[in-house]
Order: sequence, then C-alpha cells, then structure tokens
Amino acid sequence: MTSDDAAAPGSGTDGRAEPPPFDTSKAHQARMYDYLLGGKDNYAADRAVITAVLDIYPDMAFTARANRAFLGRVIRHLAGEAGIRQYLDIGTGIPTAGNTHQVAQEIAPESRVVYVDYDPVVLAHARALLTSDEAGATEYIDADLRDTGTILTQAAELLDFSKPVAVTLISILHALPDADDPHAIVAKIMAAVPPGSYLGISHAGSDLLNPEMVNSLEDAWRGKIQQQITWRTREQVLRFFAGTDLIEPGLVRVEEWRPDPGTSDTRRSAYWAGVGRKR
Amino acid sequence: MNTEVPGGDQPDTGLDDPPADGFVLRMLLGSQLRRLREAADITADQAGYEIRASRSKISRMETGRVGFKVRDVDDLLTFYGVTDEEARSRFLYLAKESSRPDWWTQYSDILPDWFENYLGLESASTTIRTFEIQFVHGLFQTEDYARAVTRLGHQSAPAEEIERRVGLRIKRQDLLARANPPRIWSVMDEAVLRRPVGGAAVMRAQLHHLIEVAKLPQVTLQVVPFARGGHAGASGTFAVLRFEEQYLPDVVYIEQLTGAVYLEARSDVEHYLEVMDQLSGEALTPADTARFIERAANEI
Repeated sequence: MTSDDAAAPGSGTDGRAEPPPFDTSKAHQARMYDYLLGGKDNYAADRAVITAVLDIYPDMAFTARANRAFLGRVIRHLAGEAGIRQYLDIGTGIPTAGNTHQVAQEIAPESRVVYVDYDPVVLAHARALLTSDEAGATEYIDADLRDTGTILTQAAELLDFSKPVAVTLISILHALPDADDPHAIVAKIMAAVPPGSYLGISHAGSDLLNPEMVNSLEDAWRGKIQQQITWRTREQVLRFFAGTDLIEPGLVRVEEWRPDPGTSDTRRSAYWAGVGRKR
Repeated sequence: MNTEVPGGDQPDTGLDDPPADGFVLRMLLGSQLRRLREAADITADQAGYEIRASRSKISRMETGRVGFKVRDVDDLLTFYGVTDEEARSRFLYLAKESSRPDWWTQYSDILPDWFENYLGLESASTTIRTFEIQFVHGLFQTEDYARAVTRLGHQSAPAEEIERRVGLRIKRQDLLARANPPRIWSVMDEAVLRRPVGGAAVMRAQLHHLIEVAKLPQVTLQVVPFARGGHAGASGTFAVLRFEEQYLPDVVYIEQLTGAVYLEARSDVEHYLEVMDQLSGEALTPADTARFIERAANEI
C-alpha cells in the first residue's frame, strides 16, 4: 500500500518536511518516552535529559505512564461504547504495551488502524512490532503532522472517510510551535472526517506547573533535545476541539479522564487531555 | 567480564562444575546479582560468607560459570536488601530455569560451547534483531540451503556429520512454531538474496521460503538494497537479543570463525543498537521487502 518510494520528499501537497536524521547524540521525544515507560529503545542522551527532568519535576514519570494509560482508556471507550472501527494514530512513537490497534482489536478484531510518524526509525519499530489481527488491518505512514495532505491521502487507502474515524494526537501537538499553526492543522484533519468522528488529544499544560518549573525544565533540555516543546494553557488546548463536543468529563488532567475504578494516586500530571465528538 | 581465578580462599567441592545448559540465563542472572551486590555496598567476601561459600564462588556465580542453587539466590537477595516479592520471584524463577536441561544437549558432540550458549540466549529472548550480510538467518533456512552452508563450513566432514548439523539447524527452527515465540526482526543486505548458495534451484526455493516466513506474525524482514549505497552495517553480521525482564540488559552476539563475542555492557550494546536502528530506518519496509524478494527469486 504505502511505500517509501511513494513518499518521496516534495510529494506532499502542503508543508512536506524532510524526515529527521537519525541522531542519538540528542534526546528524542519518542525515546525519552520509551525510557520513562521502562523500555529499552533509548540512548544515553535520552536518559541524561530525563534524569535532569526528573530532578526538577519527579512526576514526569507519572505523567508519561498516565498519558499511556489515557490512550488505553480512550481507545477502549471508542472501540466499545462509541463503536468506532477506524483509527488514525498520529505520532505513534516507539511501540510499548497496549498500542492502539491491540486495544481496539481486542474489543473489535476488525478494527483498522493507520499509524503515522515522521521519524523513519520510529516507524520501522512500529512496522516490525505493531502487526495486526488477521480480521483487521494496520498501515503505516511516514509523514510529518504538518503534512496533512500526505497523511489524509495515504490514510484513505485503508480508512473509509465516509464512516467515523477516531483521530488521536497523543502527546504530539506540543512538538509544534505556534508558528506552524497547529490549530489549523488539527482543523484540516478533522474537516476530512465525517460527523460522529472523534478527536483525542493529550498536551503539555503550561498552567499545570508553576512557571519557574517550566523555565527550569526548558533550561535543562535546551540544546539537548531534537523536538522543541511548546507548553499551552488549558484555553489554548481547548481550541483544538473546535467543531466537536467534548465528551465527559471534558478537558481535564490526563489521569482524571475517566479513571479506572479503584485508581487513587496523589500525584498530578502536567498534561491536559480530552476527547471530542465531531458535530 | 570478571575472570578471577577460582579457588582462592576455600577448597572447591567440585559440585559447581558448570553444566553447559542455561549459560546465558546464568550470565544474565549473575550480572544482575553483581549489580545488586555492588549497589548494596557488599563485598564478594561478605556475600560468600553469607551463603557459606568462598569469594571465588560468588565471582563465578556472577559471571555465569556455575549453576545457581535456588536457596543461595534466595539468601543473597535477602542479604542485598531485595524485598520486592515480584522481583524476588522473577530471580528465583530464572535461577530454576538456568539449571534445566535443553533440547540441544543431544547435539553436544557437534556443538561448540559458544554456540550452545547462543541457543540458550535465543530461546530465552523475547525479541531477536539480526543483521545479515552473507547468508539467510539460520532460523529461516531451508534444509537444502542449510546443507549447502554447512558444507561450506565443514568441507571434509563425513556425510553423516553434515546431516546431523543440518538436523540441528532445522530442529532449532521449532522456536518459530513455539507458543509465545520470540519476535524476530531481521535486516539483510541484498547480497544475501543474490548469492546463489547451493545453486539456482536451492536458492530459488530458499527465497520462496523467506517470502512465506515473512508472513508469520512474529517475523519481520527488511532488505537493504544495493541501490541504497553504503549502509550503517559495515561491521558485518550481528544480533541483538532482548529479554522480557526489564532489568535484563540486551545482549549483542557476534559470531566469529572459532568462537563468539557476547556484549552486555550498556555502552557496547548501545553502539550496536544504534547501527541496527539506523539500518532498520534505511532498509525497505516489510511490504516492499516481500515484493523485492519475489523479484529476486524471479531473477535467479
């Protein structure tokens, strides 16, 4: 279906970016996240930044785990109660336990999942490890989030855009600075899916940590990480859901979104999270 | 690896002579015990005293050269302050597993120790990533291809021995059919597909077998075509083996003519992991690889 050859540079309709070079000397968001979740696909530079981050904000590890758990709860809800069978997972990251298609196909084996990542090495991991149940299907797209043309064209090969699609942007939108107009990017993607589709987002919240801590974190990783992080307020994150109705409980901290019964943790994450249903 | 000479301060009983099986599990378990001991600031002498043994026995346990008694491991974990029941039971499970006899003991007459160790690693791993520059990976070889490769390596061996070696290689492939098999992610240079080992007919059948193997859910194949120019794998064939337990390090395996190198120090492993990652990013996708192998089979 999709092939590397089809995704030659310049083939996108808008904003096609060159894939990042493979570089282990600077921390990479997917690998830092892998390290926080206890994975083994990370390098010394990734671990060094995380060690510095945890010194300043010890609950970053909790945030990463809570974010992962949020993804699981969202997909379980969408595959179950909401009856969604098609997923567009943008910013796939390095596979770990409970990936989108595994959670969805456990509930509905015929579920189809398109994974998108802009990093060819990360996507190689996804292709190797995220293999579909026979009844359903998975596909992988090498594309930058900003390249909505490529994402939508290639995703249409597996997904039927006349039926509802769940779009998940988990811990990725804060990698886009305001200059890239991430709100317009999300709007473009949501314009391509029919009413009754869903949008799931988690995002680093600038108003969830005190400003000094945010400054210290930025000092700690400045020049040492490949992706920049743009923290946003609750109001800014809320605007991503334009044209959708937020389902209960609305836009909340990632661990507060429909927590599994019996969950009680005094720690607080630094991520906003919500799910909207397209009107 | 620490290669302290055994027999320092107390006489050895001879009960500790290493059985060859489970070497790698012992090596991994041993390296973790050493890490725990050092973290607890306990000397090998103190640890030896605790389990009524010598410092050298601790050293040999930590380098995987002797079998573990479950009771010793249990006592050491307590002494090192490991109280987490789950961690303790994983350790004890590994200690038990490491003394179980393995299927390949029946081939011990033709198996060099270093390869026997690899088989232990292979069957204990959850993910095996390999890079091949010359031959199809052993787990994916047809019998005829395996016979041709074996003959290359053992030119003067009698036919009977060749057949036993081929038998061993085919038996090893039971791993693929096992319940809960390891995930095998293999990147190969185009040369592997082009070199007609055993002649055109054998090679064509081998390539068709590769296409079938690639359909297994736990197998991923990727080819680095010649057209991609130079690639990151200038070092040659190697494998990175990963284990379920979070505290077990990845192990790099590099086969040589008369032995093998096992690397488990993080700085060494990371270098190979980096090359492997880069190769995986440069190689054709699994879907394109399947088409590429099909074409190669038609072009022989």
